Amino acid sequence: MAAPMMSPADARQHAAFTALMWALSYPGRPARLPAAGPDALGLIGETLVDLETGFFTPDAALAARLARTGGRGLPAAAAPYQFYPRLGPAELELLAAAPVGSHAAPDLGATVVVGCAIGQGARLRLSGPGIAGSCEVLVGGLPDELWELRAATVRAPLGWDLFLVAGELVLGVPRTTAVEVLPWPM
Amino acid sequence: MTLAELTHPRQDYSYGFLDAFARRELRRRILKAIAIPGYQVPYASRELPIARGWGTGGLQATLSVAGPQDVVKVIDQGADDSVNAANLRRFIARMTGVETTTDTARATIIQSRHRVPEERLAEGQLLVLQVPDPEPLRAVQPDSSQAREMHADADYAQMWLSLYEQLVRFGRFMQGASYPVIVNRRYLMSPSPIPRWDTPALHQSAHLTILSAGREKRLYAVPPYTDVRPIEFDDVFFQVEDQAGRVCMITGAAQKFMDELPQPGGGSRFRISDTGYVEKLLAAARGEPTAIGPTYYDDQGRFWMPGVIRGRGDGDS
Repeated sequence: MAAPMMSPADARQHAAFTALMWALSYPGRPARLPAAGPDALGLIGETLVDLETGFFTPDAALAARLARTGGRGLPAAAAPYQFYPRLGPAELELLAAAPVGSHAAPDLGATVVVGCAIGQGARLRLSGPGIAGSCEVLVGGLPDELWELRAATVRAPLGWDLFLVAGELVLGVPRTTAVEVLPWPM
Repeated sequence: MTLAELTHPRQDYSYGFLDAFARRELRRRILKAIAIPGYQVPYASRELPIARGWGTGGLQATLSVAGPQDVVKVIDQGADDSVNAANLRRFIARMTGVETTTDTARATIIQSRHRVPEERLAEGQLLVLQVPDPEPLRAVQPDSSQAREMHADADYAQMWLSLYEQLVRFGRFMQGASYPVIVNRRYLMSPSPIPRWDTPALHQSAHLTILSAGREKRLYAVPPYTDVRPIEFDDVFFQVEDQAGRVCMITGAAQKFMDELPQPGGGSRFRISDTGYVEKLLAAARGEPTAIGPTYYDDQGRFWMPGVIRGRGDGDS
């Protein structure tokens, strides 16, 4: 008996999921998605969201695409999956309300997917599970306040898990990762 | 656009057997399990054409991760050729089209019942462990709601007490397989019924481990490079099973985890439990080109990472 075939949509979602899984397993090491830019955020949505869960995004076009998965549109304070193609001060306020789970159910903390630039911008030192020692990455296009907000709201095992998407690259920053913003050498 | 373009050829099963909703749910849970090392994430655990208790938890994890490019190895107590392992492997291959192997180093996904292979797993490899009972607190707290509260509070006092009682009553820690570990200094976790010999292999490992209990509907993970410490006291240490004096009757090798084969008339003979590793040793002995990877324990029984197994003199300070 021949094995069942993946449909093209299945194949894309499988590739996206494995990229997310390895990105989260090895924080600081970008994994490659089978889509780039805004399409990558949409694909991550299609991979994870369906009628059993809900999402939030301030982007109207992305919201329309995510709604087609059957997922419920929810406010930022309640949505388990949140997508921010650009993160500005207004979006940061929304993110501040994102669910962090409870000690009884920390897995109810949100998954947050954010568009950014990788390889330029702020120097971050990451350490924690998934990283042998520590590693440094350059991440741009994000407000500095994001890391302050994360330090204030994410206290593992409570918190939200970040996926930073730039082009077709995705970087995982789970709640267990300690993020230190490094000064540029003078 | 024609109707033919919109449809795909008729298939009796979805890719990976699970329907799209089951797969997506498992994928969501797996990501949360990786993000919260050692925390038991509840999941729906769908019906499979294999009875619960026969590896359906591991099977669902494997089926939701595997793609056509993967190479899958399935073992049962170290053996590639047991009935359970052979059935699961055949089912996974039929439903995903993956290549199968008995070679640990070649596999991208290793689904295992109760063993970690002797050869060290590398970055990018996924170890899926089948779990009969995910709750390490079961012996001290049979009520699972209470146990979940204890995990929430990181209240493991009863566990330490039971460890102390074992020491007082028997002079040593009595727990054999499923020796409880603390993951990332937070959650107490059952590593599934792997022997104590395999427990240190999860500490600061290069590979990702997913543990899944189909009957109990709980899934948890140990990400790479994460602290996994067996519970022990500062002056009485966790010990692995002593393999000293045991020589494999097939390969002549020593200091690997052995199956004991009682002999008629008394006495025992021993055989390395990891059959994939035995195959490689035999091929090397025949002079065939074989790449045997570094193992967790060397021929003197020293664990590869010093200081992990304390009190044995193998590099601990």
